[in-house]
Amino acid sequence: MMKHFIGFGRADGSVGIRNHVLIMAVDECCDGIARAIADSIDNGIVVTNYNTCMYGGNEEMINTMVHTGNNPNVAGVLVLAMGCGSIDPEIVAAPIRDSGRPAFSLVCMKQQGTRSTITQGKALAQELQQAAYAAPRIEKPISELIIGVKCGGSDTSSGIASNPSVGRAVDTLVDMGATAIAGELIELVGCETILRQRAVSPLVADKLERLIHEEEARWHVDGAEVETMSIGNSVGGLTTLEEKSFGALSKTGTRPIQDVLQINHLVHEKPTTPGFYLSEVTHLCGSAGMHFASLGAHLILWTTGGAGFNNPIVPVIRVSGNQYLLNEDIDIDASGIMRAEEAVESVAERIVAKVSFVAQGQQTNIEEIGYSYCSLYQKDQRLETVLRFKPSC
Amino acid sequence: MKKAIQLDPSDNVATLLVDTIKGDEIAIISTNNEVIDVVTCLQAITFGNKVALTDIANQQVITKASYPVGVAIMAIPRGQLAHVQNVRSQRLDIPDNIIQEIIKQMRIEQA
Repeated sequence: MMKHFIGFGRADGSVGIRNHVLIMAVDECCDGIARAIADSIDNGIVVTNYNTCMYGGNEEMINTMVHTGNNPNVAGVLVLAMGCGSIDPEIVAAPIRDSGRPAFSLVCMKQQGTRSTITQGKALAQELQQAAYAAPRIEKPISELIIGVKCGGSDTSSGIASNPSVGRAVDTLVDMGATAIAGELIELVGCETILRQRAVSPLVADKLERLIHEEEARWHVDGAEVETMSIGNSVGGLTTLEEKSFGALSKTGTRPIQDVLQINHLVHEKPTTPGFYLSEVTHLCGSAGMHFASLGAHLILWTTGGAGFNNPIVPVIRVSGNQYLLNEDIDIDASGIMRAEEAVESVAERIVAKVSFVAQGQQTNIEEIGYSYCSLYQKDQRLETVLRFKPSC
Repeated sequence: MKKAIQLDPSDNVATLLVDTIKGDEIAIISTNNEVIDVVTCLQAITFGNKVALTDIANQQVITKASYPVGVAIMAIPRGQLAHVQNVRSQRLDIPDNIIQEIIKQMRIEQA
């Protein structure tokens, strides 16, 4: 196994394993313009704010857009606005430019309209693509990777096969010096005692318990019942959220928890030293991909039954242990564990090898084919206030 | 023989590794792949779901992989499916209408 990858150097010192150009629409009215522009280049990806086009109340989401623009896999960004909303595209473009990446902005209403914005946007996108192609190739050890860890479409095979295998792989990667980040705090409900013991300090332990408690309260408002686990989870054999949690826990491995990275309207915490982190990355799949992108993840390890989750910015390695759901989308087959034919350790070794190959440029099974929407989840400031949560920064 | 795995010796449920029908005799295996028990299924149970290994009393905690994963809301006899129709979360419940939908989609037989 090669222990190095040759990535794309960025001005801020980070090195990406992919070389994308983002076309960001700060309001949904210019989504079509963004798509027309992105289609004109090879490596264009559209990220659209489908929430309100106001600034107030969308600060957390806007921060996620900015930090996504600064992901190591991103070479440059074009930010678009229709012009009638409150979000000046420079709010997003300027801090991305500060990272040394090329970042432009266009306001449709200040141009001659949609057609001329598309024409001008295509020219800028072309420039961004050329800048991406010119990125210096830099060799880095695999240990400098930042890896997101998540499950989606979980069933009982997840807790027995894919999650323990990913957990073991995460331990190996962390021991090599890499950084791994898990989130989905709602799916760690019930695991607080075990997790506290892994925290590097009582401060981190308390933060962890507080953030899990807040997430539980957010999703469990008396009289407003919402699902926190899917019907598919239950059909697949998971009876309660606790059962899902204990299965989900195993994908986090066993190494110390350095911190719990907060994502709110005041802060967007990122890993500061290598090691394993928990975070407020949401359990909602499309948005989780974007949260990982915004935390600087190079790639994501994703455990599932047969769900082909894919994010365009951060390559996703899908691991399944369900032989009945496993399909062509799955990168790592862990079903041998369910048949008592392969050990967790052996699947973990295959996962680590796959991480290395994907970092070196090997495409995942459905890379560049079918992507999930780049959803931008944020906490609703009205609910936060009603629940009396006061985020610390 | 069809198999189900008991993830921890303290567990009162085992996870089915294949689909079963009513009357099937199931070998219960440990994580070391040793047969530790044989249980007769009282109803059809699909892959990945849990079969009761003991007679579980109403309000008794369901233990899987040594962890408390829910509480019985009625007596669950050995061999029966332990799932949303007879187990509830101790933390955050699935909404009732969703439980009904799960029971419908899974065609859970009344044992």
